[in-house]
Amino acid sequence: MAQIPNLDNSPLNLKSLREQSQRDLVKILKDIRGKKCLVIEPKLGGSLSLIIQTSLLKEYGIELRHLSAEPVQTDCTKVVYLVPSQRDLMKFISSHVHNDISKGLQREYYIYFVPRREIQCEKILEEENVHHLMTIGEYPLYVVPLDEDVLSFELDLAYKECQVDGDTGSLWQIAKAIHKLESSFGVIPNLRAKGKASVLVADILNRMQTEEPVSSSDMAVPEINTLILIDREVDMVTPMCSQLTYEGLVDEFLRINNGSVELDSSVMGVQQEGKKMKVPLNSSDKLFKEIRDLNFEVVVQVLRQKATSMKQDYTEMTTTNQTVSELKDFVKKLNSLPEMTRHINLAQHLSKFTSKPSFLAKLDMEHTIVEASSYDICFEYIEEMIQKQEPLINVLRILILFSVTNSGLPKKHFDYLRRELLHSYGFEHMATLNNLEKAGLFKKQESKSNWLTVKRALQLVVEDTDTANPNDIAYVFSGYAPLSIRLVQHAVRSGWRPMEEILKLLPGPHTETKRGRFASNPSFDTLQSASNGIDKIADGRRSLVLVVFVGGVTFAEISALRFLSAQEGMAYDLIIGTTKIVNGHTLAETFLGTSG
Amino acid sequence: MANVSVAAEWQLLYNRYYRKPELYPMRWKHMDLSRNKVACAPFGGPIAVIRDDSKIVQLYSESALRKLRIFTSSGALISETVWKHPGGRLIGMSWTEDQTLICIVQDGTVYRYNVHAELIEPNVSLGKECFEQNVVECMFWGNGVVCLTEGGLLFGIPDFKVMSPCQLAETGAEDLPNCMAVIEPKYTVSGNVEVLVGVGDGILIVDEDGVQRVEGEAVQGPVQKMVVSWDGKYLAIFTHDGRILVTDINFKGVLLEYNCESALPPEQLAWCGLDSVLLYWDDTPLLMVGPRGDPVHYFHDEPLVLIPECDGVRILSNTSMESLQRVPDSTVSIFKIGSTSPAALLYDALDHFDRRSAKADENLRLIRSSLPEAVEACIDAAGHEFDVSRQRTLLRAASYGQAFCSNFQRDRIQEMCKTLRVLNAVRDPEIGIPLSINQYKLLTPSVLIARLINAHRHLLALRISEYLGMNQEVVIMHWACSKITASLAIPDATLLEILLDKLRLCRGISYAAVAAHADKNGRRKLAAMLVEHEPRSSKQKRPPLEFFGMIQARPLPRDLFISYARCYKHEFLKDFFLSTGQLQEVAYLLWKESWELGKNPMATKGSPLHGPRIKLIEKAQHLFSETKEHTFESKAAEEHAKLLRIQHELEVSTKQAIFVDSSISDTIRTCIVLGNHRAAMKVKTEFKVSEKRWYWLKVFALATIRDWDALEKFSKEKRPPIGYRPFVEACVDADEKGEALKYIPKLADPRERAEAYARIGMAKEAADAASQAKDGELLGRLKLTFAQNAAASSLFDTLRDRLSFQGVS
Repeated sequence: MAQIPNLDNSPLNLKSLREQSQRDLVKILKDIRGKKCLVIEPKLGGSLSLIIQTSLLKEYGIELRHLSAEPVQTDCTKVVYLVPSQRDLMKFISSHVHNDISKGLQREYYIYFVPRREIQCEKILEEENVHHLMTIGEYPLYVVPLDEDVLSFELDLAYKECQVDGDTGSLWQIAKAIHKLESSFGVIPNLRAKGKASVLVADILNRMQTEEPVSSSDMAVPEINTLILIDREVDMVTPMCSQLTYEGLVDEFLRINNGSVELDSSVMGVQQEGKKMKVPLNSSDKLFKEIRDLNFEVVVQVLRQKATSMKQDYTEMTTTNQTVSELKDFVKKLNSLPEMTRHINLAQHLSKFTSKPSFLAKLDMEHTIVEASSYDICFEYIEEMIQKQEPLINVLRILILFSVTNSGLPKKHFDYLRRELLHSYGFEHMATLNNLEKAGLFKKQESKSNWLTVKRALQLVVEDTDTANPNDIAYVFSGYAPLSIRLVQHAVRSGWRPMEEILKLLPGPHTETKRGRFASNPSFDTLQSASNGIDKIADGRRSLVLVVFVGGVTFAEISALRFLSAQEGMAYDLIIGTTKIVNGHTLAETFLGTSG
Repeated sequence: MANVSVAAEWQLLYNRYYRKPELYPMRWKHMDLSRNKVACAPFGGPIAVIRDDSKIVQLYSESALRKLRIFTSSGALISETVWKHPGGRLIGMSWTEDQTLICIVQDGTVYRYNVHAELIEPNVSLGKECFEQNVVECMFWGNGVVCLTEGGLLFGIPDFKVMSPCQLAETGAEDLPNCMAVIEPKYTVSGNVEVLVGVGDGILIVDEDGVQRVEGEAVQGPVQKMVVSWDGKYLAIFTHDGRILVTDINFKGVLLEYNCESALPPEQLAWCGLDSVLLYWDDTPLLMVGPRGDPVHYFHDEPLVLIPECDGVRILSNTSMESLQRVPDSTVSIFKIGSTSPAALLYDALDHFDRRSAKADENLRLIRSSLPEAVEACIDAAGHEFDVSRQRTLLRAASYGQAFCSNFQRDRIQEMCKTLRVLNAVRDPEIGIPLSINQYKLLTPSVLIARLINAHRHLLALRISEYLGMNQEVVIMHWACSKITASLAIPDATLLEILLDKLRLCRGISYAAVAAHADKNGRRKLAAMLVEHEPRSSKQKRPPLEFFGMIQARPLPRDLFISYARCYKHEFLKDFFLSTGQLQEVAYLLWKESWELGKNPMATKGSPLHGPRIKLIEKAQHLFSETKEHTFESKAAEEHAKLLRIQHELEVSTKQAIFVDSSISDTIRTCIVLGNHRAAMKVKTEFKVSEKRWYWLKVFALATIRDWDALEKFSKEKRPPIGYRPFVEACVDADEKGEALKYIPKLADPRERAEAYARIGMAKEAADAASQAKDGELLGRLKLTFAQNAAASSLFDTLRDRLSFQGVS
């Protein structure tokens, strides 16, 4: 099964979007004649693996390399760099060039920036005195479809850059990505945004529409009805909680990268010592599509049932006479056998982690913090984690959860924990603490926390959650309904207006606007249910809501959105856009001070 | 009929008609092409003229200094400049695709001019060998050149956009070639330029990597002249015995052969489209040869310059510019004498209609069924027409016919009108770009607009891009920049008004680019004023970052500057923070520097390097203490400096470089692991490490070295402040059940006890403890842990039942 997701069932024509990106890349490579060495920044390479197969690239006379500090080893005289516009990468490239010059190698250099050129990067090339040797271009890859209903803008550091460094360049790119979608699918008439960065994105998007308008006349009805922008800043509680859906757990323990997970082949029952293998995880795998969004507890049951029924069929098959059509049915079932084994193996591997007492204790603690029931127990738990020198990221995750739900810690506790952190993990983490403080994730308490009010008003904690037959999104965290998704739920159902009071309690401003030719149409005021003719696209498909997470989204949240979308009485299909798929770990990692 | 006169001007070559309408009478005066070197750009581009210094000519009341003059295709002077370059004779001169004039002189220097006769620097040299050997011939194509030296070496510039010269393989031939032709890189398999060299008795194909001799029936004996067709697929060859041959570029088969009965090769040999070849000797009529039939002769009494185009040839003489092209099929079908094609009848019908004759209707009835194709032919023929009134008549015929067609694509006429309006506008002798419709389509409107703005025809360019619904930004932007360059005398404020007036025409235009241009022209103030007006979000954040004070007041550029400087210019950033009073930021930077100093692989640990590092940290501490809000940071820095000192001492005393840059906790652990309990204690007291942390650290450290006796002794030192849990955990983690059992019973909380027993697999004890705790949830959890063990599992069930029963009662 390919890692490139099959997009045939997508509610939007994402395939054409991906094909455009393929064509753009091929054109760049074709235009540079002859043999060439393509040097890709590794992370970008990962994103590209969702766009085009590397074997295809080789047809254009390409040697493929990953960008690193090491000089490029190749016989090609043309070197093509494909890199994101990151300043630190420019130093690598300049040092490669200097290295070639010192060895007397004459080469032609091309840099293609993804998705756009940055003057600052070119400035560095100029200062390194290599700019004049470069042919510079852009590869405008703004959107990468991860799956039928998930788009990524591939901006790993967007959240940290925005919150800590005040670098809003990524917001421009998000707006550009949405604007690109609009040029394919029509101007989105309704826009709701919550959070500082989201409102900025909305502003930039509106400005882009006046600067380079998408003509709305070509399309009778825009395919996307509503755009909801949610800032990660609004809800930092959810990503810090351990995800309990199948896909979420795989990501927590094994890391899903670009739609696949890398495992020891022994996990998958292949007897090859120490060899790693990649398992693609997307909806082309029918079984995965069925179970990815379920609570892990239920997944184990479902898999067990399936295995049992298959075994039963097999026994029947071998003991009794079967008609041809029955045989056919059986063979059809057999086809799903590889998928079954794959997920049984994977689930078994996961349960090794989930059955550990430490994991259960952590879940317990997360729930205690979210319920805000016992400050002291939580504080002592964290204190002990630090003193035992548990992995720093684990500590930061729960510390952020604790600080955010309490609107910071009293000064005495704040200083105490900071000191314990520095003593246990080293003084270089002063920068980490500084980053967290700037982002408001671990700070001194300045006002009373309103978490309890928010929790109650939005019913974030749901008692007696039936994970097998859920009736609320809270099933994804076994009892906690993700705040971000509750907001989306309300935004879709009734807009921001009825919940202004609650929104004011959450960080950042919010806006609600009409756009395009609907801007001045008062009858189009509220987003009503599907009975309203305008909401349906001509061919009977449901119209779409695009939910964009500025700063990343977790798999568990995606699952919750899919759950919403599948509910009876839901008038819309939901499509998710995000700067990147994140989890508590990857988010917390970006704040580590020593890395940058 | 009026139509007769049209076809009367045509010449028949086998079964194809050719026509040679005059495009312009030339506007220049007293031009004698034979005295000059002339370079004409295709696609109706400009003409460069300079006195030929390889010929002896008489000077008439003119300066001895040569002038390079640039004209439009209609002969209007665009610009001129005096030629006084060193380097010997001018050997080759040609226009590139983007209308840069390339001039190559004997010593291999390449001079470049734009259409305004302004030298584009730097000048490029073809290399040392060229300098020593002299260039004798240049072969150009749209985007490159190959030069031949006296020594028979070939050098080339494969891409004028890059301007890096290369040498081609040596032919090894003793004599200089008779003739040469180039196949441009885009038509070769290798993607590199290939040169066809007629030398000795045959033809060689030369590229960068090698030389290859050509085999084929077309090559029998020496070749005198060659030219490649514009699509790179065919080759015309003039042989030693006076024949003209056309062959496939791979020399497979002869497609045309004609004996010209001339021992001398023609001065010019050119393809006319892809259908015929033109041969020019200055003393005989211009000869046009096609694949079959008799050739056509065109008489001339002036020297000519042939300018090959994709669909014909333009013929330049001292007094006129003509276009020789094959008559398009649609035009033939309408105007051919005696034509009864539907299109001809439709054209005729319009004539009758205009004269109010009933025959109009009769004609229409005749062609009813084929009306759409007749309309299409009229539209197409109109497109190929240079004569405006004939364009109009043909389009009227089309629209007349269209009225009776039910299913014709109605916007075809509209589209053609649009195209023709554009073409007629640029063909105007004032502009002088005689594009045919085919050339226009190949060139594309955006390139045409780019050429117009390069020629400073901004108004026309603007009108055309507006008319075609294209982005006007390019035009306005270019205008604004040209305006700034040309307006040195206009004061900033006035110029700003003039610029804004036009910039406002185009929404979304980037003022920053214009500002950058102003800045480059030394008008910094104007640049700053322009940036203030920038409406575009993406560009606004890049004003010239000149003054800290200025950007401090503007959050967006400030943050951007900081993040840029953070990555690249530490010193600069420090100055900035100091100047704006953000002392804590400077402190963080210093701290970071000290950290990076430590990471420096050149600095071995334990060396006196800790000195400068500590100094940096102490400086940071000092800066932190300047502000009230940063007491914590200041203390932390103080502790860090102290830690580094202690770690350094430890490394010296233990002679092990394992301490520096580990944390306080790690340092304590390392000390204990090394058995140096006194040092561990010293670190503990020095940094006031809490008893709680101390217990965890020491217990874990002792477990690491599996010193269970020491652990037990430690547990008995005094009652541990956090109970015996650390001891249990350490033993369980180390898989030492026996050791763990020493401490589990001492755990105060029965729940903890239950879990600890469970972890080492003692179900019964776990169950007992749990039931003591009266915790049903815990029992359930423990049951899960023991799920595999049936006996244990039932044990938990019984207990839980009992518990819930208790709960009810």
